[in-house]
Amino acid sequence: MQYSTIKTAKKIVLTLATVIIFFLILFPPIILFLTSIKTEVDALSFPPKWIFKPILGNYRDIFKTSSLARYMLNSLIVASVNTAVSLALGSMAAYGLARFRFKGSENLSFWILSIRMMPPVASIIPIYIIMKKMHLLDTPWALVIIYLTFNLPFVVWMMKGFFEDIPREIEESALIDGCSEFEVFRKMAIPLVAPGLAATAILIFIFSWNEFLFALILTGTRAVTLPVGIIGFMKETGINWGYMTAGGILALVPVIIFTVLVQKHLVKGLTLGAIK
Amino acid sequence: MVLLCIVIFPLIFSLSLSLHEWNIIRAGGWQWKGLGNYATILFQDPYFRTSLKVTIFYLLGTVPLQLALGLVVALILNRITRKIIGFLRTTLVIPAIMTPIVVGIIWRLMYNPDLGMLNYLLGLFHLPPVNWTGMPQTALPSVMMADTWEWTPFMALILLAGLQALPREPFEAAYVDGATNWQTFRFVTLPLLSPVLIVAILIRLMDSFKTFDLIFVLTQGGPGMSTETMNFYTYRYGFKFFHMGYASALSWLLVIIVTIISMILVKIIRSRGIYAMGG
Repeated sequence: MQYSTIKTAKKIVLTLATVIIFFLILFPPIILFLTSIKTEVDALSFPPKWIFKPILGNYRDIFKTSSLARYMLNSLIVASVNTAVSLALGSMAAYGLARFRFKGSENLSFWILSIRMMPPVASIIPIYIIMKKMHLLDTPWALVIIYLTFNLPFVVWMMKGFFEDIPREIEESALIDGCSEFEVFRKMAIPLVAPGLAATAILIFIFSWNEFLFALILTGTRAVTLPVGIIGFMKETGINWGYMTAGGILALVPVIIFTVLVQKHLVKGLTLGAIK
Repeated sequence: MVLLCIVIFPLIFSLSLSLHEWNIIRAGGWQWKGLGNYATILFQDPYFRTSLKVTIFYLLGTVPLQLALGLVVALILNRITRKIIGFLRTTLVIPAIMTPIVVGIIWRLMYNPDLGMLNYLLGLFHLPPVNWTGMPQTALPSVMMADTWEWTPFMALILLAGLQALPREPFEAAYVDGATNWQTFRFVTLPLLSPVLIVAILIRLMDSFKTFDLIFVLTQGGPGMSTETMNFYTYRYGFKFFHMGYASALSWLLVIIVTIISMILVKIIRSRGIYAMGG
């Protein structure tokens, strides 16, 4: 009898703790969302209003009166071109590394680690000057190239793991049937790793979408991406909370959707494969 | 090969730049300074020392705290029924995968002294409002708190995955031997989990050094220099004051410090035979 009471009490405490944890995680983003659908008067009222008439005005005005659509387009271009290039080059390199042994291939993991370790601030100065000399400043191409430096090794790393999971025998039988190595790669290996490929694509898309420091320094007016654009609503004269919060929500929407899609591979990707 | 050029060339370029004085908005080209930039930074620049202190305080404040909190959260969630594990994982990963700039905006909104949620909550308990990011004493802890919100769930996620991958037998043995909960945790769970703990620390430490977006949105390094990490200091020298040579020297020092710390951790990892990270 007493034992079961303790057990029930334990269960209640655990459930309560879980609820509190999730409340703490979700509360701040919810505040962001609520502020984005408030009128300016409601948003600036203190104490905060919990019951108010939700409006979508901020979302409408932000497209009308600012270049937000332009920023989103830029972000989309940079992230998708980068994703396509990284995947095309990276998956071939990964296949090579997974299937053939050659000197130096084990240094790859250190390369990945060192890229992740390096603070971007440390390399931003020479990159800025080089981009300036090449007249690439304020173009999406500068960002596409720079994001390759951390996305490409990431793709190689992730895809190498996926390719290694394919049994070699399947490919060997295709080779015996007269396929070339490249045909095996294109017609057999790629379809077999398709789910992993999709997850990797989504992850690097998110990385490019979220990146701020390089975008801040390498763009000026025309090629401004979404995070840099949103920061533009933070002016000396004051913060336009309606725009800031609406812009923030718009930046989050694709990230959250993608997160739900690749949930399974996310932990592996974000910890560089340290945790399966 | 092309990529190698993209990576290596800037490094060499920046190394030679760090040995010169070059202000890109002023006329006049590079002036040879030798190791002068480094000497100035290390022995004469009080701001560098401040930023070093801020960085160390930031690292020592956030990483262990997030590790401890993350472990508590992971242990709690490990007891929860497995049915909702998918939902749990997705929620835990959200702060980490969110656009960091938006995390900054959220916390700027929460910290706002006039209409922010935190001062409202303080008011409910009849506590005086705090000017969170506006005062030198509270600015750095405020940034660290936002950082902790952003990364603790992620830490918990890693540790939860680690906990769930542990073998059952040692726990059964401890139970049969009559170990208390605390003893089981201290002598079974912790040692078994230590590889995952070290990997988690390594990942967080490397990312912590790079914290830029949060500071940029919340405080811009201020008030004064109270939240200026080495990372931010380097950025300001290069792109606010345009002393490219000096900033390059700063960034090299940053790289050296990060490399040394990471090497030590990677060495620990390798010596413990954790394959995945060290390769």
